[in-house]
Amino acid sequence: MQNDVEPIFQRTCALLQPFNPRGIEISPDTDITGDLEIDSVAVLDLIMEVEDEYGISLPMNLISEIRTVGDLVRAIHQIAGAK
Amino acid sequence: MDLFDKFAALTTQYASIVEAGADPFGVCMDDIRSATEAVVGGQDVILAGTNNYLGLTFDPACIRAAQETLSRAGTGTTGSRIANGTYSAHRLLEQELADFFACTSAMVFPTGYQANLGIISGLAGPEDYILIDAHCHASIYDGCRLSGATVIRFRHNSPADLDQRLSRLGGGDTNKLVIVEGLYSMFGDIAPVDEFAAVKNKHGAYLCVDEAHSVGVYGDTGRGVAEAANASADVDFIVGTFSKSLGSIGGFCVSSHPKFDLLRLASRPYMFTASLSPANVASVRTALQQIRIRPELRRNLWQNAAALHSGLSDLGFSLGAGVSPIIAVQMPSREAAVDFWNRLFRKGVYVNLALPPGTPNSSSLLRCSVLAAHRPDQIEQIRRAFEEVGIETGIIDKSQPARLAQAAQ
Repeated sequence: MQNDVEPIFQRTCALLQPFNPRGIEISPDTDITGDLEIDSVAVLDLIMEVEDEYGISLPMNLISEIRTVGDLVRAIHQIAGAK
Repeated sequence: MDLFDKFAALTTQYASIVEAGADPFGVCMDDIRSATEAVVGGQDVILAGTNNYLGLTFDPACIRAAQETLSRAGTGTTGSRIANGTYSAHRLLEQELADFFACTSAMVFPTGYQANLGIISGLAGPEDYILIDAHCHASIYDGCRLSGATVIRFRHNSPADLDQRLSRLGGGDTNKLVIVEGLYSMFGDIAPVDEFAAVKNKHGAYLCVDEAHSVGVYGDTGRGVAEAANASADVDFIVGTFSKSLGSIGGFCVSSHPKFDLLRLASRPYMFTASLSPANVASVRTALQQIRIRPELRRNLWQNAAALHSGLSDLGFSLGAGVSPIIAVQMPSREAAVDFWNRLFRKGVYVNLALPPGTPNSSSLLRCSVLAAHRPDQIEQIRRAFEEVGIETGIIDKSQPARLAQAAQ
């Protein structure tokens, strides 16, 4: 990850912790629904947390393209940066 | 590689459910005897998991109307509404629905699912925003997807959260469509439609309320939760279904928007499917009359709902919401829910098993629905089955149910 996305990565990892009961090490390549214990509806709830944390809108249309933690971090970075 | 490889996790999960007993998602009614009784696998069961709130599926007037129409107009229309599938009865039903809701226009669809698909994808396009309550039904999510609009979820039943998310989108010259449900099908809680209406007015948005579970149940004349909240005038579109209180199949949308009927030429799920069969239309028209002329149906329904709700709550079960015809009994885990469902079933009580991700907040629920047609002894039989299974499984405390009930409140 580039330096300016590192803080976003750290905050995203913190938001994902409740869904990581096995305590795996989260990396940008972690598959959100595949590697963590989070179902498709809970992912959408998580996205609302992210939206509130950054004061942004992450439309559902975009979410379908987000698979890994790195994808989510890049989306936040892009949208928060454009604001 | 196999096309079905993507269902590996689903296959494992399903196998573990079926292993625990009967298949909750493959129940077959060998014989349906009334709105409240069926035979399943050779066993008599009480139906406490349907959406037949007013019990009209076996209403003699509705059956007679359907039978007469079947003989007169045949078994099907074999065509779309924009081709050969519009009969005068479809138009009359639309007029009667518009009158029932005091709106100027109505459109009917072959199912409630298609009503949401057709209305949402017809109203909103890629340039528009849709804001949906987080607990909305799958048909609303699918309609949003089909529309191509930008879709934002807001926190369940929170007008303040909707306000915040609308504010984030900024002013600008964009259309915003807000979608909520009246009565939510899983927990049985209702939307504060008047407060949502105030927020949508503040932002110049449109409001669509899906009253699938609330038509015939809420409001002085049975129009739904918006009517009960005195907010009908601020609702731009009401979507609903014929497959719940109206005891048939089909869906509809009513509106007083002057250009509403343009959707007949623009909504793909409306145009590219066959229209409702004449017998269905006839039974729905009669069911609408029954709702008008028999308010006692609603009174019975609410009496039964209150009786089962307090019965289960007094036993110490944790319920999803206050009194409504949908009573969601919360289970501690997926496994506990499957086990409890099987035990109820063996005692001759059928309820709906609802598991994540089909439920909000990853909840595992036994969803009971109460009907106007349930007799008091049936309500008691359902309550007693819950009591017995609750004690067998240790989910309720036999010695102190009342104390637990108080703690849960």
